[in-house]
Amino acid sequence: MIVFEDVTLSYGTKIILEGLSFQANFHEKIAILGKSGAGKTTILKLILGLQNPDSGRILIDGTDITVLKESQLRDVRMKFSIVFQEGALFDSLSVRENVAFCLREYTDLTEEEIEERVRDLLRRVGIEEAIDLMPEQLSGGMQRRVAIARSLAACEPRMFLYDEPTTGLDPITADSICALMNELSSGQPPDRKGLIVVTHKVTDAVKVAERFLYLSEGRLTFDGDIDALKNTTDDELKRFIYDIL
Amino acid sequence: MKRLRFILSSLQDFYKLSLKAPLGIFRRPFYFKDTLEQMDYAGPGSVFIIILVSLFIGMALSLQISAELAALGLKMYTGKIVGVAIIREIGPVAVALTFAGRVGSGMASEIGSMILGHQVDILRVFGVDPVKKLVTPRVISSILMLPALTIIGDAVSLIGGYYIAVFVSHQSASFYWTQIKDILDFENIFSGLTKPFLFGYTISIISCYFGLTTYGGSRGLRRSTTMAVVVSTVMIIVFDFLITKILLFVLGMRV
Ligand SMILES: Nc1ncnc2c1ncn2[C@@H]1O[C@H](COP(=O)(O)OP(=O)(O)OP(=O)(O)O)[C@@H](O)[C@H]1O
Ligand SMILES: [Mg+2]
Repeated sequence: MIVFEDVTLSYGTKIILEGLSFQANFHEKIAILGKSGAGKTTILKLILGLQNPDSGRILIDGTDITVLKESQLRDVRMKFSIVFQEGALFDSLSVRENVAFCLREYTDLTEEEIEERVRDLLRRVGIEEAIDLMPEQLSGGMQRRVAIARSLAACEPRMFLYDEPTTGLDPITADSICALMNELSSGQPPDRKGLIVVTHKVTDAVKVAERFLYLSEGRLTFDGDIDALKNTTDDELKRFIYDIL
Repeated sequence: MKRLRFILSSLQDFYKLSLKAPLGIFRRPFYFKDTLEQMDYAGPGSVFIIILVSLFIGMALSLQISAELAALGLKMYTGKIVGVAIIREIGPVAVALTFAGRVGSGMASEIGSMILGHQVDILRVFGVDPVKKLVTPRVISSILMLPALTIIGDAVSLIGGYYIAVFVSHQSASFYWTQIKDILDFENIFSGLTKPFLFGYTISIISCYFGLTTYGGSRGLRRSTTMAVVVSTVMIIVFDFLITKILLFVLGMRV
């Protein structure tokens, strides 16, 4: 369970989040929509404790993570699997080493075991053939897939967090990424692994999410399912979701 | 008021980083591979440019000093003056400035783009301390490599000075080297080698700090890289003066 209680955050004089509150279960499939620079990435960073709010509390399974130290945050972060904008692959490491990063850091697996595990994970996201490539040789879609594989190597998460997973991709590739996201979050609640996807691409958001939040001017101005979204009376949101109406 | 608070908190962060990074040497985990890679980039990778810069500095200095001393009829002392100037002052500073331009800017822009690409966030998610993984290897490599580069640079400068003194100013080669040998005493070498250690530390911490505090896209990256080089340059020159002053005092030399 993720709970935001009256979270406020600003950079200098620029207010990014203003009294943000919402709750989410780990099995939910949520899309947080918002314009560029609305603070979507910031919300994901707050959930992982990568950033601290100016005020307010963020509870993950009942623990207030805003007061935890970096070393104590590890357990919280293990509950999630994060894929950042553009994948955030380590550009000095090959695909193999990117996926193996956590295995090398935290396990005593032998070379063969690591190789096998890396291939397994890459197969799961559908790009085993890219194992020897460097990140700069990958297309945008492949980078996201490697990033997903790498985050799966770190832990079996309870929830996936995606930051703009389909931005900059052609419609076909974007669709296949959405399919992969749905596959990873398949099953019935409350057993399935949920997801939070932050994006401004509404057409992709409706393919994966069941609940929608709209972030505007530092506040959530909408929270509801697809039907409610389509019937919204909010003018700004109406323009934002024009593509699916 | 807000600006002052920002500056103070930045200084505080910088201070913390400058303590935490070197302490990483003593606490597990150690990132040997990263350290080696950084050493390779900073050391052998910089040798060529250091040789080039030092050679010309040595030659220019020797040329100028020979000319001045010739007017006084004292040009056989060129070696002594060039030697002291190179080993104690110009060598360490010139090499450090070159190092800041080549390696410092590289550190700031590499770490900066890792920040912008969320790679540093991923490190933290994976439970890896970015200071240990990124900053400590760079500090170690700079502290080790800058003194080594300074020794190479000094030697090349002295050879450049020798070339001018002997083949252009027609002085005695053996007397030039005798004077150089004379000034290679403990005091000069100690002063000459204390500086690059401190400079290496200063350049790497400043560059990593600006890299880590990057924000705001490619403009932000430009700002970080520029700041890293500018602040390093100023600090090298200010510290050079302070260290010279302290060393003269410690070694009991009168001005
Ligand atoms: N370290 C920082 N210092 C100052 N401003 C920042 C910093 N980090 C982010 N911002 C600003 O905060 C705002 C929100 O950032 P965030 O990355 O969360 O936006 P976003 O909704 O993810 O946008 P995008 O669609 O561009 O990814 C942006 O306007 C950004 O410029
Ligand atoms: Mg973003």
